[in-house]
Amino acid sequence: MSVFTEERLVPLVAFVLAWLATYLAIQLGKQGKIRIRRIPGLDAIEEAVGRAVEMGRPVFEIVGMGSFTDIYATQTVAGLSILSYVATLSARLGAKMYAPQADVGVMPVAIELVRTAYTTEGKIEELDIDEQLPYLSGEQFAWAGGIIAMAARMKPAANIMVGPFWAESMLFAESFDRAGAMQVGGTARMYQLPFFAAVCDYTLLGEEVFAAGAYVSGDPMQVGTIGAQDWYKIVGFILAIIGALLATAGVPVIGDLLSL
Amino acid sequence: MDYRRDIPLAITFLVGVIAVMDYYTTLKSVTDTFTVIKNWGVVLYAFALGIGAVNLFRVHGRRISERRRADWPFSAWLLLMIVMFVVVGLGTGQFETSSQYEWIYNAIYLPIDSTMYASLCFYMSYGAYKILRARNFDAFLLFITAIFVILGNTPLFPATFPVFFHIREWIFGPIVGGAYRGIRIGIGIGAVVLGIRTLVGLETGYLGRR
Repeated sequence: MSVFTEERLVPLVAFVLAWLATYLAIQLGKQGKIRIRRIPGLDAIEEAVGRAVEMGRPVFEIVGMGSFTDIYATQTVAGLSILSYVATLSARLGAKMYAPQADVGVMPVAIELVRTAYTTEGKIEELDIDEQLPYLSGEQFAWAGGIIAMAARMKPAANIMVGPFWAESMLFAESFDRAGAMQVGGTARMYQLPFFAAVCDYTLLGEEVFAAGAYVSGDPMQVGTIGAQDWYKIVGFILAIIGALLATAGVPVIGDLLSL
Repeated sequence: MDYRRDIPLAITFLVGVIAVMDYYTTLKSVTDTFTVIKNWGVVLYAFALGIGAVNLFRVHGRRISERRRADWPFSAWLLLMIVMFVVVGLGTGQFETSSQYEWIYNAIYLPIDSTMYASLCFYMSYGAYKILRARNFDAFLLFITAIFVILGNTPLFPATFPVFFHIREWIFGPIVGGAYRGIRIGIGIGAVVLGIRTLVGLETGYLGRR
């Protein structure tokens, strides 16, 4: 009996290659040899928080209702990185940040990192965890209803939504738009992306969500790993072109290889 | 050494490596270990439920006692409902399968939930109106495409003019399908890199930026 799971050999090789490429990218990043393009949606977050300070209105940061144990956990982790960033900016610039919670597993982590951000900025006395990070509900539309009501009452100046979102995405985007908030929306859930693209001022498309934590950290090693993402895409693009040409010629070797 | 940072990172690495090994190998010891870890996760989540309940009682209890906000009666209603659901669930001994619990769930929660979901069509219509205004050439192209997709989705137009159906299929196939797969590949790659970054301890946003 094989030690390795059948039909997962090629993914395993791809995963090992991904590790090696990421290691190489980290080393190049350390040397400052990797440059990445600007992501307007992430650059706009500081502007959005600044706008909230000028207008004297709050900032909302929503990480979605994903958990750490479902297939959207990576998006939740990415969303928490942005929550940490927004909390730091809000504490530093003096904006009131609200981050309503939907998942009881994510909530303690969110509380901890917001507390850390305020402590680091020396503003812990300005943080009211119960009010600013309330647990609304684990039920989708109860949670959505709570956030829509908060948006209508508080008229936030900025709304940053990064994480996994479902049908509530459009409810949020429209409600905050009506409240006059500048919005940055990002998700890797394909069906919700058009809603964010339609209504939000800035949208993080798919992979940009995963790059967000590294991007805002400014750490050259983390930025290097974003460079690795581009390498994989180039390899994928080349494989797709060659595979399509060979398949058209009646030689589906690439498809056969990838399904091993 | 910063224990508050390094210990969580070490746990993340260890659990992550076991999860990856569970996916790629057939080793029974790895599978058993990962099953235990997943069970721990379930127990931790059960404890976390208590945190959510405590937060609700703290926030809304404070609002009721202060009565400064005009909406404090809603806070009282919320806490009353929580207590009622718990009492009915525990009181019958059958939890959510009891007929009493099912009745209050179907009579109170479901209609409100369905109403919220139904309201989505108005939000979507308004969003569509905003984005489909032909303000420039790009928006005009989007508008024309939307017209074909919307009419192609109705029963009447494709039955009368089959070309609407074929154009809709073509838009969904080569155009939307191609773009969709491109974004999907990017998402997959991004998730893998984020996973690797988390395992090696570079992605620390979820720990707070210490």
